[in-house]
Amino acid sequence: MKEIPFKNPGWAGNTGEFDLTEAEVRGEDFVGERPRAGGHPSGASAYPYMLAEKTPDAKLFEGDYQARFEKILSRYPNKQGALLPTLNLAQEVRGHVSPETMNEVAGLLGLSPAYVRGVTSFYTMYNKRPVGRYLIQVCTNVSCSLKGGDDVMAAFLRYTDTELGETSEDGLFTVIEAECLAACGFGPAVQINSQYYENVTPADVPGIIERLKAERAGSAG
Amino acid sequence: MAYPYVSDREVRLLSKSFGDPKGRRLETYVERGGYGALKKAFEMGPDAVIDEVKASGLRGRGGAGFPAGVKWSFMPKEPTRPHYLLCNADESEPGTFKDRELMRWDPHQLIEGVLIAAYAIRAKQAYIYCRGEFFETTQILAKALEDAYAGGYVGKDILGSGVDIDVTIHLGAGAYICGEETALMNSLEGRRGQPRVKPPFPAAVGAFGMPTTINNVETLSAVPHIVSNGGAWYRQWGTERSTGTKLFCVSGHVNKPGNYELPLGFPLMDLIEDVCGGMTNGKALKAVIPGGSSVPILTAAECKGVNLDYESVQAAGSMLGCAAVIVMDEDTHIVKQVRRIVDFYAHESCGQCTPCREGTAWLAKILRRIEDGKGAEEDLDTLLSVSRHMTGTTICVLSDSAAAPVVSSIQKFKDEYLALIRRGERAGVA
Repeated sequence: MKEIPFKNPGWAGNTGEFDLTEAEVRGEDFVGERPRAGGHPSGASAYPYMLAEKTPDAKLFEGDYQARFEKILSRYPNKQGALLPTLNLAQEVRGHVSPETMNEVAGLLGLSPAYVRGVTSFYTMYNKRPVGRYLIQVCTNVSCSLKGGDDVMAAFLRYTDTELGETSEDGLFTVIEAECLAACGFGPAVQINSQYYENVTPADVPGIIERLKAERAGSAG
Repeated sequence: MAYPYVSDREVRLLSKSFGDPKGRRLETYVERGGYGALKKAFEMGPDAVIDEVKASGLRGRGGAGFPAGVKWSFMPKEPTRPHYLLCNADESEPGTFKDRELMRWDPHQLIEGVLIAAYAIRAKQAYIYCRGEFFETTQILAKALEDAYAGGYVGKDILGSGVDIDVTIHLGAGAYICGEETALMNSLEGRRGQPRVKPPFPAAVGAFGMPTTINNVETLSAVPHIVSNGGAWYRQWGTERSTGTKLFCVSGHVNKPGNYELPLGFPLMDLIEDVCGGMTNGKALKAVIPGGSSVPILTAAECKGVNLDYESVQAAGSMLGCAAVIVMDEDTHIVKQVRRIVDFYAHESCGQCTPCREGTAWLAKILRRIEDGKGAEEDLDTLLSVSRHMTGTTICVLSDSAAAPVVSSIQKFKDEYLALIRRGERAGVA
C-alpha cells in the first residue's frame, strides 16, 4: 500500500507548544486495543466504537457482545436504565438502529416496542437508516463557524461527492452536520466514526478522504 | 496547564496534567499524591467533608454556579433508600471544551472527586454521564476506572475503609438537553431526555426516584484539592463570592485558543490580549460571548473592565455560565452567528414546552429570512416579542438560552440587522 503523506490535523498536537505524538494525545498508547467484551463492567457501556465494519443482520447479542450486554445490565437498578447503552451496542454491531432492531432491544429489556421507538427517535446519534462505513460529522456551530466550519463542510461534501446526509455510491462516506462537539478551541472540529479531527481546514480534506479510502482498501485487500 | 498553549499567568491545580500523557496513568497519579484526599476524606467523615467544601466556597462549574457544598448538604443524612451521585460529563454547550480535557488528561482526578462526593452524600452508586460523542475520551476514562478498581480505590471496601462505592460510565446518545440535570436523570433511566418539573428537587427525588446529587466534571475535579488542602487554602484564589480557579475555554478569533486555568475574577481583556496572545491577524475585537452560547453577547466596549467572576459578568449584563469565552473579530457576521446559535437551540429543543418548541423554530426561521435579505423591519419587533414570551415560561432554561443572544444582539448590533434588511429591500426595488 502506498504511503500517503498526511498531516494529521486531528489532535492539536502539531499546533501549540507541546511535542507529543498523536497516540499520546489521543491516549491510544494508554488505552490500546479495546476488548469487544467490554473489559471491567464499570466501563462496559463506555466501549462502543463506531466501527467501519457493520453487520446489519447480526444477532443481538452473541459471543463477546452478549458478555458486554450482561455487564451493562449488571450496572443498573432496572433493565430500562440499560436502554441507551443497549441501543449503543446494537448500533455498534449493526451500524444503524432499524425499527426491527428497536423491537428486538425492547424484547431484550422487557419494554414495549413503542416505548423504545419513542426513546430512540429522541436521540440524534442513533442512525435510523444505514450510513456509510465512515460517518463524517462536521461541526458548524458558533466557534467552528467562526473558524470556517462551513467551508470544511462544503469541502467534505465535494470530495466525497455526496449531498448532506446521503451516502456515497461506494458506500464509504456519509457526511452530516454535527451540533457542537465540545472541541471549540480547536475548531473546526470533525468527528469521523469514533475519532475527532481538529483544526481542520478545507485543504486538509482531500488528504483525510484519501487516507480513509486507503485504510478501507488495505483492510479489504 | 493549558493545552496546547501555556501561559505563565495560569494557576495550575486541575489542569496540571494537561499535555502530559503520563498523567493519565494510575501509578503517576498515585506517585504525585493522588487518592490521598480520598484517604483523608474517610478519616474526616462525610459531614466534615461537606463542611470543608462549603468553606471553600466552590461553586458549580456547569453554568449555574450553585455552591457545591450547600447542594451536598441537601441530601438526607440517614439514608433509608439508595443515594446516587451523578457526574455531568455531557459537555455540550457551544463554546465549552474543558470537561473533555479534564477527562482525557487527568481521569483519576475526576474519579477521586466522584468517590469523595459519593462518600460525602452517602451514595454507594455513582454514574458518570458522558456525552455519546466522546468515544476517545470515555475509552481513557474507562481504562482509568478499570485500573482504579484493580488498585482497590473503587468498589467494595475501598482501601480497607469499609466504604463501598461503585462507579459506572454511562454514555448519552446526542442530545444537548441531557446536560440539564433532570433531563440527564431521565436519560440515565432510559427515557427521552426531557427536563422534569422542579420541585421535587433531585436531593429528594432524583435518578431512579432516589435522592440524588449531580455535579459537573470540573466541580468534582476540584474536590480532591479542597479536601487535601482545606477550604481556606482554596479561597486564596478568586474573589470573596467567586472562589478558586476556573478553566476558561477560549475559542474563536484569538491567536492561542484553548483551556486556561485562571483565578476567578481575572480580567477579560487580559485573557484575550495577554494569555491568548491577542486577536488573530491583529484584527479589532467586535464582541465576546463570555459564558457559552446561551448567555447575552458583550460588545468590545462592554468587555473593557469586566472581570471574569460570576458577579462582575452579571453586572456587565451577561453571565459567566461555564466560562466558555467565544471571541469574535471585527469581520464577524453577527446575524449569521446568532442565527447559527438559534438553529442549534431549535434542533435541540426537547419539544415539551410550547413556547420553546414553537419559539425556537420561529426565531430560526425569521433570522434566516433576515440573513437572506428577505427580512422587514417589523421582523425585529417580532423577534423581540417571541423572545419575551420564551423567557421564564418553560420547564428548563433552554428556551431562555435561545432568546438571550437574539435580544442582546438586536439591542447591541441593530445596525447589522437593519443593513441586511435595507440591502434586501433595495435589491427588491431594483
